[in-house]
Amino acid sequence: MLLETDGLTKRFGGITAVDGVDFALESGELCSLIGPNGAGKTTFFNLLTGVLEPSDGAIRFAPGAGAGEGGQAGEGGDGGVGTRDITDASPHETALAGIHRSYQITNLFPTLTVLENVRIAAQAARGGDAWKLWRNVRSFDAHYEEAHQILDRIGLDGAADAVAENLSHGEKRSLEVGVALAGDPDLLLLDEPTAGVSSEGVDDVVALIEDVAADHSVMLIEHNMDVVMGISDRIAVLHRGELIADGPPESVRNDPAVREAYLGGYGREGDATGEEQSGGTDGDGSAAATDGGRRVDRPTGRAPPAERGRASGRTPNRGGGGR
Amino acid sequence: MTLADYARDHAVHAAVVLVFFLYPPVNGALESSPLAAETAAFLPGITFMIAVLYMGLFAMSFDFVSGYTGYLSFGHAAFYGTGAYFVVLAANGQIPGIPGGTPFMITLLLGALLAALLALVIGSVSFRLTGVYFAMITLGFAQVIYELIRSWGYVSTNPQEGATIGGDGLAIGVPYVDALSLRVGRLTGTSVENLLGLGIDVSATVVSYYALGAVVLASYFAMQRILHSPFGRVMVAIRENEERARAVGYPTYRFKLAAFAISGFFGAVAGGIFAAYARSVSPDNSYFFLVTADALITTIIGGFGTLAGPLFGTAFHQWLEDVLSTESGGLATYIREGVPATVLETDVFGLSVELFVNTALAGRAPLYLGIVFVLFVLFVPNGILGTVRDRLGGTVGKRLPERLRRYRR
Repeated sequence: MLLETDGLTKRFGGITAVDGVDFALESGELCSLIGPNGAGKTTFFNLLTGVLEPSDGAIRFAPGAGAGEGGQAGEGGDGGVGTRDITDASPHETALAGIHRSYQITNLFPTLTVLENVRIAAQAARGGDAWKLWRNVRSFDAHYEEAHQILDRIGLDGAADAVAENLSHGEKRSLEVGVALAGDPDLLLLDEPTAGVSSEGVDDVVALIEDVAADHSVMLIEHNMDVVMGISDRIAVLHRGELIADGPPESVRNDPAVREAYLGGYGREGDATGEEQSGGTDGDGSAAATDGGRRVDRPTGRAPPAERGRASGRTPNRGGGGR
Repeated sequence: MTLADYARDHAVHAAVVLVFFLYPPVNGALESSPLAAETAAFLPGITFMIAVLYMGLFAMSFDFVSGYTGYLSFGHAAFYGTGAYFVVLAANGQIPGIPGGTPFMITLLLGALLAALLALVIGSVSFRLTGVYFAMITLGFAQVIYELIRSWGYVSTNPQEGATIGGDGLAIGVPYVDALSLRVGRLTGTSVENLLGLGIDVSATVVSYYALGAVVLASYFAMQRILHSPFGRVMVAIRENEERARAVGYPTYRFKLAAFAISGFFGAVAGGIFAAYARSVSPDNSYFFLVTADALITTIIGGFGTLAGPLFGTAFHQWLEDVLSTESGGLATYIREGVPATVLETDVFGLSVELFVNTALAGRAPLYLGIVFVLFVLFVPNGILGTVRDRLGGTVGKRLPERLRRYRR
């Protein structure tokens, strides 16, 4: 078990954003976290990474324990690192423990170069180096090498010297993932990596996620059902803070509770597009600020969202560009 | 890195140092040339250049934390004042455990360490806040200390007026080695007659200028080195996006505290050399919040987050002060002496030209500085050095040699 939450709860005043979630993630898995706006997905990530403090419950993290699919260097075999309680850990502690995330709303170092964005994260993973006040940063070749490797992987090595804020939106989304990767994560939390990406760009992002998932454990928040169904080993569904389903894609897709809660009574609403357009704004009134009602996420009124082949055609970036 | 690379990277540094180094003899030569009147009117005197040094260092220390981590240290005068008072009190033997006569370099260092400690205390509370609240709480701390010092009878019999140093000039150089030390102070400093048998006399003021300059140069390089280290990059990351810096694994609170302490250290060094030169200190020229405001204004004019920029901003500030003051020449004096009396007495809208010059120019530096400040904020938000760097596409030290090479062909 790589990650385990035990009755994880977060209350904001009277609202319970995450409600008694018992969740476990195996090493090497790619698990998607889905749910309507305001379901508590991003809050769940914020709890895991220590940005928010849980109101109740516990989080345990066991990097290196029984690392299934390889990729993690070091003490994978004997699973001897042991489990850490990271319930009250702060963001930098969870990061150093091996949990890294990308953000739903691009959250880079805007005026730094693409290379420096990734390098600074790689430097963080080598804890003590950051405190070397008297050595020139350029003498740390390992940081630069790793940064270039990651840029190569996310396809941005050609833009290494560009300033991050000047990248295209799609490139920024890739760099988001790159910065998270540079921390040498055991668990990678990706919060809507396709947010606002044009329909043509989604396939690139999906390819990147699949590539990264090959040697990392990944949790993915994603609204694009075709992406979710296509690449997930497992899907967990949050609804009003509660985990209402958790299992392989097929079973989740056919789960009546999921259909009722998340798919908004699929088949009852009739015509697709018109409903979707309005769906983004009426949504769940309780939507957390981070979900901001930017995107329509309920594939209401259409055929079961299964076939990935139709992905690009059905994931227009409605509203996505409006940021 | 070969020596040639090193020389090329620091060519611009060397040029700036050279300009500062050559300023006194050039200024002196001009003063005894036919251009004497113009020199007195338009070039700052050495006393103003000394102010450029210590105020420039203070502004650089302010920029170190404010410009690079993005946390505006509005209480920075607390560190300047601490350095200044520590040096003065130590020189008078008023600090327990430090006998009077302890070399200035040691008391300067101790005062700076005390200020770094103070920064840790102030920072440990203040860094729980961000943005304008951080600025306000640091300002609050500094004002509390200001009031305390103003009414603390131990400092001197009249604490509101501050304290003065008695005895010899304080020496900058190697402690306990007189041959490698220079005493500073307008009246108490070392003066050199017939330097190296070349018949050059160097006044005590000019010696102080060089001695203070050496301290400022060493401090600048130390700060620059830290900014170019992995630690400095984390400071910038915090400025750019603290949330993300935390998320990639940096305990930002500790980094901010450390940066604040370093900044406080050099702020106190600036205060210390100021006190050593001026031989006195008062609450109003050290701990007062307008001292921070000076640093803020010169930092904005020089370029926020450029480290060297504040020095140029301060040079501009002091130049303006000098030109508009009547202490040593100045524009008003120049006009009064250079323009025929008939013109001076001409009435313009019921006001004689002379009266206009006296009211609109003499001693009006703060007015014009305010106007310049407003113009900079509006039109040159990156400041002098920041704008130059934008134009060159990098730091001057890196880009200028490349540019020059291109033009040489």
